[in-house]
Order: sequence, then C-alpha cells, then structure tokens
Amino acid sequence: MNGNVDTSRAKRFYTVGILLLSVVVICFLISLFWTPYDPYATDAAAKLLPPSSAHPFGTDNFGRDVLSRVMSAAKFTVFISVAGVTIALILGTLTGLPAGYFGGFTDKSIMLVNNSIMCFPGILLALVAVAVFGASMYNVVWALGLVFAPTFARVYRAGTLEIKEYDYITHARVMGVRPVRIMLLHILPNLVPQLLPATVIGLANMTLFESGMSYLGLGVQPPDASFGKMLAESQAYIRVAPWLVIFPSLMLVFYILGLYFVSEGMRVSLTKGGGT
Amino acid sequence: MTGKQTVLYIIRKVAELLATLLLVSLLTFLAFSVIPGDTARVMLGANATQEQVEVLREELGLNRPLPVRYLSWLGGAFTGNLGNSTQYRTDVAKLIANRLPVTLGMSILAFVMIIAISYPLAILSSRKPGKFADQVCSVLGHILFAIPPFVLSLLLILIFGSILKNFTIGNYVAPNVDFGIYLQSLLLPAFAIALPKIAMTFKFLRSSMIEQKASDHVATAKSHGLSDLKIMFKHILPNSNVSSITVISLVLSDILGGSLIVEQVFNLPGLGRLLLSAISQRDFPLLSGIVFYLALVTVLLYFAADIFSSLSDPRIRIR
Repeated sequence: MNGNVDTSRAKRFYTVGILLLSVVVICFLISLFWTPYDPYATDAAAKLLPPSSAHPFGTDNFGRDVLSRVMSAAKFTVFISVAGVTIALILGTLTGLPAGYFGGFTDKSIMLVNNSIMCFPGILLALVAVAVFGASMYNVVWALGLVFAPTFARVYRAGTLEIKEYDYITHARVMGVRPVRIMLLHILPNLVPQLLPATVIGLANMTLFESGMSYLGLGVQPPDASFGKMLAESQAYIRVAPWLVIFPSLMLVFYILGLYFVSEGMRVSLTKGGGT
Repeated sequence: MTGKQTVLYIIRKVAELLATLLLVSLLTFLAFSVIPGDTARVMLGANATQEQVEVLREELGLNRPLPVRYLSWLGGAFTGNLGNSTQYRTDVAKLIANRLPVTLGMSILAFVMIIAISYPLAILSSRKPGKFADQVCSVLGHILFAIPPFVLSLLLILIFGSILKNFTIGNYVAPNVDFGIYLQSLLLPAFAIALPKIAMTFKFLRSSMIEQKASDHVATAKSHGLSDLKIMFKHILPNSNVSSITVISLVLSDILGGSLIVEQVFNLPGLGRLLLSAISQRDFPLLSGIVFYLALVTVLLYFAADIFSSLSDPRIRIR
C-alpha cells in the first residue's frame, strides 16, 4: 500500500474519532459549569417523560433530566479513564523501564510478576480489588490503574530494549550518566510514539471496564451518574422508556469508538504500510 | 526438527506453566491476606461481637502463621477442597461446580458463534479488499468492537422486544431438565458476548489473509493453476490458523470475563452472580476460590494455545 492511501486513511480515522470524542468532551467541559437541570434533582411530576423540547433526552423514573445526567456522567467517565491511565503509565514506567534497561534478573522477576497478573481476567481483578477495599470512585481508579499497568509495562520494556542499543545511550553510559537519568531523560522521551496509541487504547479499555463495574454497582456510586449505572437503573423501564437506555449507550459508545478511531489513525500513520 | 526438540519444548512449557500457576495462587492468596485490618472483622462488619470474630478467625484458621495458611490453601486448591463459603455454609468447589453449566455453556456457545461468523466474513472480505462487502464488514467491525457486551445485551433486548412484541428474556432452565430451553436461554447472552469478539477475530483474520494472499507461495500456487477455493483452504487458512491461535486464546479468556457481567443483564444464575454475591457478602473463601479457578482456566488456555501453535508451526519449538 502506498503512502498517500495510508495518510488519507489515517486522516479519515482521526476526523471521525475526534468528531465522536468531541461530543463527549464538550458535554464534559460544559457540565463543569452548567447543566440544563440539576442532575440530582428529582421531580415527582415529571417521571419517565419522553424526549421533548423541555427535556431533550427525556426524564428517568425519579423525574431527573436525562440530558443533565448524561452530561454529568461524561465527567466521571472521562475523569476515571484519564486518572486510571495516568496511574498505569506511572506504574509502567517504574516497572517496564528498569526491566528493559537492566535485563537479566531484574527483567525476569518483574516480567514474571507482570505475566502472572495478566493471567487473571482483568475485569475480575478490578472487581476483587474494589470488593476488598470498598466500592468508590477512587478505588475504581486505583484498581484499573493496577490492572492495566502490566500492559503498559510491556510497551515500555519492548521500546527500552530497542533504544538502549543506540549509540547515544552507550555514549551517555560511558560518560558516567546514572541509569535513572538515562532512563528518564534519554529513553523515556523516545518511547512517546509507542506509548501514545497504547495510552489512547488504554483509555477506551478502561472505560469498557469502568462502565461494566458501574453497571454491576461496584463503580461510580449513586447518586452520582455514570453511563453504566444509568443503564442498570433503566433496564426495568426498557419497554416503556427506551430513551433511558439509548442516550447513555450512545454517549458511552461515542467515547470508546472515538478513542479507538484515534488510536487506529495513530497506528496507520505511525507504522508505515500497516494499513490493511 | 527432531522429536527431541519437541519433547524439550514441551518440558520447558510445562515447567513454565507450573511456575505461573504457583505465582498465580500466591497472588490470589496474598490479595485476600493483605486486607488492611483484621480479615475476620472486615468479613463480619462493624456490628459483630468480639466472640463472633474469634469464632470466624478459628474457622478460617487465621490464627496460624501466613506461610502455613498459604500451604494448606494451596493444597486445598489443587485437590478441589477450598473450604466452606461463609455465606452459603457449603463447599466452595461444589458451589462453583453448580454454576458452571451457565457460564461454561454460554462461553462455548459464544465461541462457536465467533468461529462460525468471523471466518466466513473474513474470507469474503479478503477476496476483494476495499470493495463494498469488505467496507461494510470493516466499518461494522469497528463499531461493534467498541460496544461493551452489557450495552449490546440491552440493545438486543430492546430490538427483539420491539420486533417480537411477546419477547421476554427466557427464564433459565438447567440442562438436565430441558436442554432445548437451556440452550435457548443462553442464545442471546452468548450472542451479546460474541459480537465484539467476532469483530476482533474478523479484523485479525482479514489482515492475516490479505497478507497471505500477497505472499510468494500463494502466487506460486496460483501459477500452478490451483482453484481459488483450493488455495484458500490449502494454502491460506492453515497459515492464518497458526497466527490466530494466540488471538483465539485471548478471545476465550475475554469471553469468560464478559460473561460475568452479561449474566447479570439476563438474570442468569452463573459464576458472575455467585461472584457478586460473594463480593457483597464479603465471602472471602468463595471469592478467592472463584478468582483462582478462573485464573487457572486462563493459564491453561494460554498453555494450550502455546502447545497448539508449536505443533502446527515447528519453527516456534526451536526458538
């Protein structure tokens, strides 16, 4: 496949991805300052209203405005995924970089623990962590960060293995630069091209997990809104009030799909010829 | 490639398997031992009396030193004796075995769907890459890949509900009571789990087949005048299968994780429900049992995938 086709493919992925993401991110940004209604305010006179000009996304079984709740849920979803990925990135740096740089016993022992953690189905590990430490938004962030750390550690390690062979690293080592400084200043910045797509995919996968956990009642706790919890609550009204299921689902899928498309664009444009 | 190398390879893999299993069991055990505070107190809640806590400590053997507890737990884990659930007051292994028909049946059904749908679609797509059929499949694949299985379940319920007015989520029936209804009750949840994985497997197979088609051995086969069908089944599929074994083992472990949540949407009494009740009741013996056995299944799946790929691709054994 030639370069031009790849660039246009990448552009298409970026455009669609950013378009979908911006829907969610704009909702998130606006919700910080303003929502049409108070997302927590119940209204007994306005239960299960279908979408209308007053309530564009309708109302739920407590008479809460679904648009306001969806906007507020976007805030938690974005926050949890970003915070979780940050923790996974930090833990990945702490384990993957030394594993790749020092090799030998350090590498073997770190990767053994890493691979063993990856043997547990991820969602199971996250659920158990939350079960042991209690269900709260911050515990979900920690649990997801821990569960995803091994995946990131692998990316760090693979990249470090390659870069540490370069002459400028040998040069720095011969000049007596300390390993920590080499890893953080000379290797880490060069890992960004590999880390960027992994980070974006990580955001999407974390959102998949978080929404599932919230659906089970072990994620974001009520009365705070999250897409997963909203869907769990609306399941009983799926026949009479389908809008309760449709709007949160759409927003959730927009966010995950947007992230996937952006990462796909990165993959196509960063790896030449990988566009099949 | 000699038989000796094969034997050595398998011995090395089995040693790796045992080491991984040991570490996985240690991690599972530690996860429930490093709980801040007194485990028995955490399990019983703040309202329990000191005597109740003491009784539970004795029952769980918490007064013994940590290494001793680990060894006895490990021995139990491999002989199917994981102790008693504090919530149900019965054997943990028996509780898990009772729930297996749901989770296992659903996983197998989902797996069959994945293979039965993704292979034909990938063959169709890779025939003329970039053409209409391929574009439709690829776009659908991208979208389905991004929808969480529990959301798909809800959407399926919504769609089936509006088409078939009398559609209700079937009640679960045990397989020994009525196998037909049992399968029926698992069909929709299995489909919801399978859809994103179909997308994933399709995407992988498609690019692997397109890659194969551009390779020299396929061009040679074509120049020998072999039919497209023969090239597909004799020269492309076997090679794609080797590389897809790893992907399929990943898919299988994802299916297990996905079924834990989807069971809840369809109200099925499987392992997921058991897990949730163990979590909400802080039933740690049951919880650690479920976690360990699910991890065990995953490790064995990866092991089987390694062995299978080495059998179908001799190059892997010499590495």
